[in-house]
Amino acid sequence: MTSSIFMHPATMFIIGALLLPLAKKFNVQKIWLVLVPLVAFIQIKFLPESFGNVEWLGFELKFGRVDQLTMVFLHVFTLMALIGSIFGLHVKESGQHVAAWLYVAGSLGTTLAGDYLTVFIFWELMAFASVFLIWYRKRKRSIDAGYRYLLVHTFGGLVLLGGIFLRYQNVGDLNFEWISVDHATLADYLIMIGFMLNAAVPPIHAWLPDAYPEATVTGAVFMCAFTTKTAVYVLARGFAGFETLAIMGAIMTLYGVFYAVIENDARRILAYHIVSQVGYMVCAVGIGTEMAINGASAHAYAHILYKALLFMGIGSVLEMTGRSKLTELGGLYKYMPFTMIFTVIGGIAISGFPLTSGFISKSMIITAAGNNHQLVIMSMLLLAAVGTFLSVGIKLPYYVFFGPKDSGLKPKEAHWNMQVAMGMAAFMCIFLGFYPDYLYDMLPYAVQYHPYTSYHLAETFHLMGFTGLGFYLMVKYLKPHDVSNLDLDWFYRRGAVWFMWVANKPVNATNEWVSNIYQNIGLRLTMALARALSWFDWEGIDWALDGSARGVVKGGEQVRQFQTGKLQHYIGAAVALLFIVLIVVVLI
Amino acid sequence: MIVNFLTYLRERPSLLKWLFLAYLAFALVFDFFADRSYGHFWGDHLVGYWAVFGLVGCLAMIVFCKGLSHVWLERDKDHYDK
Repeated sequence: MTSSIFMHPATMFIIGALLLPLAKKFNVQKIWLVLVPLVAFIQIKFLPESFGNVEWLGFELKFGRVDQLTMVFLHVFTLMALIGSIFGLHVKESGQHVAAWLYVAGSLGTTLAGDYLTVFIFWELMAFASVFLIWYRKRKRSIDAGYRYLLVHTFGGLVLLGGIFLRYQNVGDLNFEWISVDHATLADYLIMIGFMLNAAVPPIHAWLPDAYPEATVTGAVFMCAFTTKTAVYVLARGFAGFETLAIMGAIMTLYGVFYAVIENDARRILAYHIVSQVGYMVCAVGIGTEMAINGASAHAYAHILYKALLFMGIGSVLEMTGRSKLTELGGLYKYMPFTMIFTVIGGIAISGFPLTSGFISKSMIITAAGNNHQLVIMSMLLLAAVGTFLSVGIKLPYYVFFGPKDSGLKPKEAHWNMQVAMGMAAFMCIFLGFYPDYLYDMLPYAVQYHPYTSYHLAETFHLMGFTGLGFYLMVKYLKPHDVSNLDLDWFYRRGAVWFMWVANKPVNATNEWVSNIYQNIGLRLTMALARALSWFDWEGIDWALDGSARGVVKGGEQVRQFQTGKLQHYIGAAVALLFIVLIVVVLI
Repeated sequence: MIVNFLTYLRERPSLLKWLFLAYLAFALVFDFFADRSYGHFWGDHLVGYWAVFGLVGCLAMIVFCKGLSHVWLERDKDHYDK
């Protein structure tokens, strides 16, 4: 069965990545970049239900477990790898592509894993490969953000590993199956926290808006698709029906849009919208009904495409102008009309406009919450939809492509390959809106939901229209400012500074103080003690030893005088001794 | 072509405003004819509920978030680099 590991789509990306420098040498890098994801995209349809089971050190590693839930994620992951690779075709550095593909391999490996050990291996591959997508930006900010990203993910990985070890101790096997909330132990909650960190659930979300805006243009397109959605998959696989997740997810949706409303950097706005949109999925996983799990999977599928489309659109602007702040952009529609159209399609898809993918996926989750009588959660999700349209549907395209004033920039339209990739993603956003059954047929459970009811349409028309009215009324107040807003990464960014301060100032000062005391008092005391010991050694020990030695010599001298050398003296002494012994024995 | 069309619209804000208001009116009228048999709660049975929800939600969110940013969260852009 070991040979069947070669049919694993992650293997394809790993080998593809390793051969990439060779492809560059023979000048076929661009062909190779399209070919490998394309073959993987086709090949996943032929995967058997179970493959790549390997015995290793007494553990049974299951590299391939395929069912409907796996399939929908595999489908969108490989499609996204193809779109992302096409978007990055113009990038000549092989290293970026290698990092991106290893990252994709990690994500595919986690999705296919049937046991926790395999999950962990690919989980870490994902973290370590993706950090290079940040570092390749090569600015100091990116290097710093990359280190923070890596530290946070290493922490999350350790929590996950701790949970896995504890679970092995408790249960005795490492199978990655659904856990009921009634039987969940500390081990399971540790695993869940490890997963939640990658899903960017507040308060452990701040790594995402910290790192993604600092990634390379292509890197951000990959990163927005894989880490969080792989986390959604593992949560849906293992922890469906945990109500904590439903509540946290609903909070996430609002947390993300609140920040998106006030942020100025376009890619930071999009990053906060990942938090918000993944919130819908985490919430659906927490609701846990068949419809909710369908909704989480469908929304993950739709979200990967429109969020990547938005990151590609804004990434193209960044690539062509070198800027991504709303305050520095405006009026670009004249120079980048296609990028503008694609970005707007992404914006209306994420807002859930009719005839786009967001309309058919997000509403499934909201309806699942309604059907489950969780009205507060449902209202929170709808309020988040309002905020989404406000910040990504209107604010973002308005300030980047139109705006109250032109920026004066006259960039060229994005490279052809970027436009092809954006076109593909935009096509999928619209296609799914027109033909939802393409997605619904892939979902884990049979779908009885119809998105295009007159009431759902009316609700959407209202929400979008009157949000637009709100924007129109408040547009002056919404004007972005060139500032940065505090988030919970403050704790470890300021915390680290304080730690260094504590290490530099009080700890260092205490150290010097202690060594001063030692030099002034301690050293003298030690010398005095040494002198006392030396005196004792000289006077006490030597005296005792020498004294006893002198005693032995003196005794020997006295004994020697007994020995006269005359036989009659010895016999007399022996007889006298015998008499004494006899008297003692008889008398006692 | 699309650039010219958008520029044409951009130079006529009052036309855009009327088009937008017409859309809002259409949305309100459409709500009277929507089938409400699948409603989840009382709000689903009120005509225009989601219009109010959208408008009030949007305004409240802008005031709340922008206000929070101004009084608490806002820092210099190189805040952490100092």
